[in-house]
Parts: sequence; structure tokens; C-alpha cells
Amino acid sequence: MTDSENMALGTPVEVANIEKELYKLWEADEARTNASLMNFAVYSEEKGSLAKNSDIVRKITREHACRAILVGIDKQAKEKTVSAWITAHCHLAHGQKSVCCEQIAFHLTGRSTGRFRNTIFANLQSDLPLILWWQGDLSNMFSEGLYRRINRLVIDSSDWKNPIDSFKLMSEAWGDKKSLVIQDLAWTRTYNYRLAVAALYDDPMAAESLPTTQKIKVVANPKHRFSALLMVAWYCDLAGWQPSQDLVDDGDLNGSYRFEKKNGELVDVEVKYDDESMPISKFEVISDSVEICISRNKGDDLLHHLLKCSKHTLDTHGQADSIDGAELVTNQLSRGGKNSLYKRIFPKFLDLV
Amino acid sequence: MSNPFREDLVSRSRPESCTVVIFGATGDLTHRKLIPALYNLAIDGELPSNVKIVGFARRDKSDEVFREGLKELNKDVSRSGHNDEIWNDFEQTVHYHQSEFQDLDGYKRLADRLDAIDTERGSKGNRLFYIASAPEFFDDILQNLKDAGLNNAAKGAWARVIVEKPFGTDLATAQHLNQVVNNTFEEKDTYRIDHYLGKETAQNIMVLRFANAIFEPLWNSRYIEQIQITCSEHLGMEGGRGGYYDTAGAMRDMVQNHLLQLLSLVAMEPPTDLSADGVRDEKVKVIRSLRQWDTPELVAENVVRAQYTAGHIHGKSVVGYCEEDRVDPESNTEAYVAVRCMVDTWRWSGVPFYVRMGKRLPKKATEISVHFKSAPNVLFNAIPGASDEGNVLVIRIQPDEGISLRMVSKLPGTSLRLEPVKMDFHYSTSFGKGSPEAYERLLLDSMAGDATLFARRDEVEEAWKFVDHIEQAWHAEENQPPMAEFTAGSWGPEEAEDLLAKDGNTWRRL
Ligand SMILES: NC(=O)c1ccc[n+]([C@@H]2O[C@H](COP(=O)([O-])OP(=O)(O)OC[C@H]3O[C@@H](n4cnc5c(N)ncnc54)[C@H](OP(=O)(O)O)[C@@H]3O)[C@@H](O)[C@H]2O)c1
Repeated sequence: MTDSENMALGTPVEVANIEKELYKLWEADEARTNASLMNFAVYSEEKGSLAKNSDIVRKITREHACRAILVGIDKQAKEKTVSAWITAHCHLAHGQKSVCCEQIAFHLTGRSTGRFRNTIFANLQSDLPLILWWQGDLSNMFSEGLYRRINRLVIDSSDWKNPIDSFKLMSEAWGDKKSLVIQDLAWTRTYNYRLAVAALYDDPMAAESLPTTQKIKVVANPKHRFSALLMVAWYCDLAGWQPSQDLVDDGDLNGSYRFEKKNGELVDVEVKYDDESMPISKFEVISDSVEICISRNKGDDLLHHLLKCSKHTLDTHGQADSIDGAELVTNQLSRGGKNSLYKRIFPKFLDLV
Repeated sequence: MSNPFREDLVSRSRPESCTVVIFGATGDLTHRKLIPALYNLAIDGELPSNVKIVGFARRDKSDEVFREGLKELNKDVSRSGHNDEIWNDFEQTVHYHQSEFQDLDGYKRLADRLDAIDTERGSKGNRLFYIASAPEFFDDILQNLKDAGLNNAAKGAWARVIVEKPFGTDLATAQHLNQVVNNTFEEKDTYRIDHYLGKETAQNIMVLRFANAIFEPLWNSRYIEQIQITCSEHLGMEGGRGGYYDTAGAMRDMVQNHLLQLLSLVAMEPPTDLSADGVRDEKVKVIRSLRQWDTPELVAENVVRAQYTAGHIHGKSVVGYCEEDRVDPESNTEAYVAVRCMVDTWRWSGVPFYVRMGKRLPKKATEISVHFKSAPNVLFNAIPGASDEGNVLVIRIQPDEGISLRMVSKLPGTSLRLEPVKMDFHYSTSFGKGSPEAYERLLLDSMAGDATLFARRDEVEEAWKFVDHIEQAWHAEENQPPMAEFTAGSWGPEEAEDLLAKDGNTWRRL
């Protein structure tokens, strides 16, 4: 660990003395309020992740009071060590009171990495829910003993190098613990697109046109393929369509898929990837009488909503999802919920993957 | 045709696209509250697409000039800031319609205009009429809406009306108004706004009571000694408010609506379901069960009214009520009121509810405090010098929304000293993000047809009935209960302290 990384993490402490040291931290300054509504753990096997995650947590604590527990793992290291740091992230509430959240960071190396689960559990605030943000692929460290005790798992499947294995581990976890809430940031990135689609279908003409849909076109960044496919799976599931027997994926990176409506008619779905695109830059639905297009230009933080039908046109803007990881997690935590829709469309999504 | 894509995106009834017509659209309420609320809903993606807004007022203005004025104020007051690009889209949905409230022709032109809007955007013709005018125009507006046929919705669509406070000035005027409203709109399409009900903590009263198993068993006369509802304001009659206030007074302006609504949320029985009528059925039973103070003697015994005299607030000297701008120097209107209410139900038998509201009190706060009975006078409470204060649960409605619980704890040390300590929960610091403005929630609910957070006809009339007895005693030819006085910047008159002292209680210090 470099000096600057050390600095970012606060005061180094003995693992055995963490609670005592945290207590001292609060005693030192009475003007601060210690606030916490959850335990928020962040796990990463990437080098240098602790300082980066400390910065992310600082942003998240502006909206979500928590006890943060950062875990950085270095499996390759020969030496077996466990180091810990504590600090507090403070923000002014209404320009007066300083509201602070405590953070404990752990760095585990070599064979100590196996202790990470107990390290987290030993430092939780009792009775508050545990949210774990697992960065990178799910590995063998993601064990039953871990996910049985967490309330909410945050992942980002777009970052996975080996998605098939990770999705498999994820499905197993769901199988073992039905109440586990999984929040995939690839799904979070589609939130405002979904909201825009829903808003446009409030228009009676659009709603009437749904059964006559012929084609769906999506343009996305190849890094965000899963967001695009989640969006497709979501749309088709809620429209009541099933993947068709002659579902085709031409092997090319770009994907074409086919869904079957209740009346047996087919709908073609075309997903194009473009390196210059925003995570999703276009979602277009073409039917007999109505065209719906939601799009996002490069660098824009707004979505363009367009609905064209024979009698009228609707042309507005709405919020787009952030491209910043900290902000995405913040928004996702604010929305809460059981994320049951994601779970429901997951099998359809896996078919597309 | 239902919209399948709304599933799981919002956990509330779905607001439907409509045209919102605001009567009194060049006024303060529209600029400060209504338009910023609609704009913030648009930013959050909560406003149904295709909503149009038509402002109706007397002055001659173009759409552009109207929009420009709204934009200037939105920049100052919008909860989540102002984004030009989103505003530019939003303002395209805003139009201005010039007419006198009394001019039927203006309403006919409005009807044509609304039809044209519906044709242009292919919508089915839902209309939400928001009456944001002074109450003397309610009759004209409602009658003209009816004469122009605007109260009749097209097939498959709805026409609803939102009425602002004050909803009448006594039972007779409220009944008249209800009749006028219900001549034009059915009760199910009538939404009487009480913006206190749109506040996060007010909504949370029911959640606190009925979603937590630990409170409800204690929520009765067996464990609760008394309940206090305080609404204190440090402001006086700034900005010309005196003109209106002096005709109303604290009782009509705040107690009849907001504070009795809070009281009914605290005292109601669990509703059978969360439907609008399920909840309101229970709330109205509380108001109906209020013991009536219907003789001058009972009023004198249970109600204190007062005016402030010159004093100091936040280090500045301020004048007395009767010297305020636009207030009659001989005024007989109360700027402070404290009422001892008794809810005659099995649950609340013998538990006083003290409700007070005052201007020029030391700070701005609205809070409900539930005072539990003290633990028996044995063990720790029998120790000489032990405090016999019971637990107090405080629900703060504004400004610092939250909940706290006071309990007794041992002071550290070798001797046994007990002192009260406070467990505190603040919305702002715990949830970080700000709560939506009350008007945002209420506008969405009315678009969704959910009237839970609006006052129903019988609630309003029952509340007036209670208030009328008191007002009548105050304004009777003889035997009038006295008008007390207190120094501006203090916590109210001595008489209000005596009111509680008779029961062996004291006002909670805020
Ligand atoms: N302001 C608030 O924060 C607030 C809060 C709660 C309740 N309220 C209630 O809401 C209502 C409106 O309050 P406000 O403060 O917005 O009042 P305001 O600023 O005085 O506005 C009055 C509005 O009514 C219009 N108007 C008056 N006479 C008219 C006529 N004969 N024909 C057509 N339009 C006419 C005015 O139009 P012109 O400008 O064209 O004359 C203006 O748009 C009141 O009942 C008030 O008690 C207000």
C-alpha cells in the first residue's frame, strides 16, 4: 500500500481495538452526530481498491448514513497479514450540524484472505441491515456462509470477466436464499430508460399500439451489453411475449432476437453495439401506428423522449442514469425495494445472454 | 388500456395524464408552490407524460410572459434546483388563459381550448381543476365550470376539482361551499387540500402506529397521560398577512384544519384497510367524538385565546398584534389559541389532548408529543429526588422532521441518580435526501384518484362544528370569555399554563 492510499483510509488501528478506537474518534468531537441506517460493506480483489472505494463511500454517505466496511483482498501476496484503518466521513446537514459516518477499512493478504467473512461479521452494527457491494466477478470467496447473512447484494455484471460463472453463482445464491435482494448495476443503468418507456405508454395511442409492435431496435456500448439485454428482457416480459423457438443470435457481436406474441406473431429485436455509445444510447419501438424512441447523446445527462403517432407528437426530455458508479449505488439504495422484477426477468435475460 | 410498463417502478396508485387548470394562476400560491411542485415531479420522472397546465387569471398575459414569471420564481424556490433544458420542455406544457372568474364566456373559451389540447395530443380528456383563488370566488368559479359543462368528463375520462383552504369560515359557509362544490362535482371527484397531510411525518404517524407492533398496545388511556399538539410560529403579520388573518384568527386558520387533522391521525382507530374512505372513516369518528365546548362557561374553562403585545423575537423588537399592519387596532381576533380537547371514546377516556397554536412565539415548530404515564412510585421512582417524569414520544412535523423518545436513565457515577435522556431520529440526517414538498405528493395523488390525504366533506363539517361553538362564545354579546395577552417572543399567556395546571400538567418545552 502506498502512503497516499494509507492517508486516504485514516488512522491505522489494531484489529482487536477497532471498537475502542472508533469510540475515541467520536469522543474527540461533540459537535458531530454519528448516523447510521445500515452496514455497508464493499469488497474488492483489485489492487489499490481501498483508497478508491473510500472516496466512493464518502460520496454515498452524503445521502445514506451507514457504517462502512471496506475490504481489500490480495490473494497472491505471500505474506499473511490483516491491517485495519478507521476514519469518519462528515457532511454538513442544512449547513449546521455535522453528520458523520464511520468507516473501517481492512486489507487482507495471503492466506488471511479466508478470514474476510468473519472480519466483516465481527464489525457490524447490530440490528441494522447488511448491504454488500461485491466488486468484480463473484469468486469462490462468495460462499453460502456469506450470502446467508446479507440482506442486499450489489453487483455490476458489466464488469465481469467471466459472466457465465458469476451468473451461475448468483443463481445458486438465489436458490439457497430466496429473500436475498440482488441489485445489479447493469439493471440500475436502465432505470430511467424504463421510466421513460413507461411514461410514453401512458399515452393512450401508445398503449393501444403495443399489440401491433413489429420491431425493437437498441443501440448500446459493448461494455454495457447486459444493460441492453436486460432492457430487452424487461420490455418483452412486461409486454407478455415469449422468446421464440427460432430465436437467433447470429454469432456476431451485434445481436438479433425474436419474440413471440400471445397471438403467435413475431417481433424482431435488434441490438447494435457501438464503442462511442453511452451505456444505452437508443431504445426504439416501431409498431403499426406509433413510433417510440428514447435516446441519449454522448455526454448528455438527459434522455430524449419521442413519441410519434398519426394524431400527435410528444417530444420531451427526462433524466438519464448516471455513469458514475457511486451515484448509481446511491440511487439504487434510495429506491430500495425487493427488486423482484429483476429476479422475474432474469431467466429471460439469461436466455438472451 | 392499461400500461404494463409501470409495474414495479412506483409503489403507489398511478397518476394519470391530464390537463391541470389553475384558477388564480398569477397568484402567489401558483408561483411558489404549484408550478415548482409540478416541475419537480417532471424532473423526478413522476409526472405522467402529456400533462398540460393551463393558468386562468384576470390579467392580460401571453403564454411567454406567464412562463417567464413562473421560471424566475422557480429558480429561487425549486426543491431540486432549476435545469434550463428540462424547464424548456416543461414550460411548453404551460399555457395562459385570460378571463374574469365571473365571466361565463371565459369558461366556454376554456372548454374549447381544453378540447383542442386533447385533440392535438390525442388524450382522452382528464381534467384537474385547481381552485387557487380567494374563497369569495369559489361560488362563481364552480357555477361557471358547471354552466360551461366542464364538470362533465368525456366518456372514460374524469374531471376533478382541488379546493384550497380556507374551506369556509364557519359551519354554515362550509356547508354552503360543500353544496356548491357537490352541485358541480361529485364528492369522489372533490379534493380538499390540507397540505399538512402531504408532509412526510404526518404520513408517518400512521406508519409509526400501525406498522410497529410496540406502540399500539400502549396507545390508550391506560398508558397515556396526555397528548400535546403545538404549532408555533415566530412570524407575526409581515407581508400584509394581517388583512386576511385579522378576519380569521388562529382557530380558523390553523386549528380547524391542520391541527385537528393531526389530532385525528394520532387518535384514530386502526382502519380496516388503507383505502381513502377506510382511513377517513376512522379519522372523522375522532372529530365527531370531540366533547363539544358549547357554552361560554365551558369555553372559558377549556379554551384560552390571546394576542401578543410588543416584545422581542430573535433579538429584534416587534410590535403587538393590534399595532400590526392591516390589523384593526380594536381587534378581537386571537393570534394565539390553546384548547383542551377530550376525545370521548373508549380508548381515550380521560386523556386530555392539548392543542395550541400561536404567532410570535420563540420559534417555528409543529410537534406532537405523547406523554406516557409515569412508572409506579416504587423502586427507582421512590428514591428521594427521583424525577417522576414519564416517557415522551415526540413526532416533529416541521421543520426538523423526526421522532424522539425520552426515557429515564441512570447518570454515570457511584450514586444512583436518574435523569431523562433522549433517543432521537432525524429524517434529514438519517435518510440524507430531502422529502418531496407536500404539494408534489398531493398533486400526484389527485391525478391518481387517491383521496386518502385530502379532507372529506364530513371531516371538514365536523371540525367546523367543534370550532363554531368556541367562536360563537368568543363573539357573543355578553359573557365573552376574556382575551389574554402575552409578550411577543414568550411561550404564550399565563392562562394557557393554568389551563394545563388544572389537570396537573404543564406544556412541554420545545
Ligand atoms: N400563498 C400561499 O402560499 C397559500 C397557501 C395555502 C393556501 N393559500 C390559499 O390559496 C388561495 C390563493 O392564494 P394566493 O396567495 O395565490 O392569492 P393571490 O396571490 O392574491 O392570487 C390571487 C389570484 O386570483 C386571481 N384573481 C383575483 N380576482 C380575479 C378575478 N375576478 N378574475 C380572475 N382572476 C382573479 C388573481 O389574478 P390577477 O393577478 O390576474 O388579478 C391571482 O391570480 C387563497 O385562498 C389562499 O388562502 C395560499
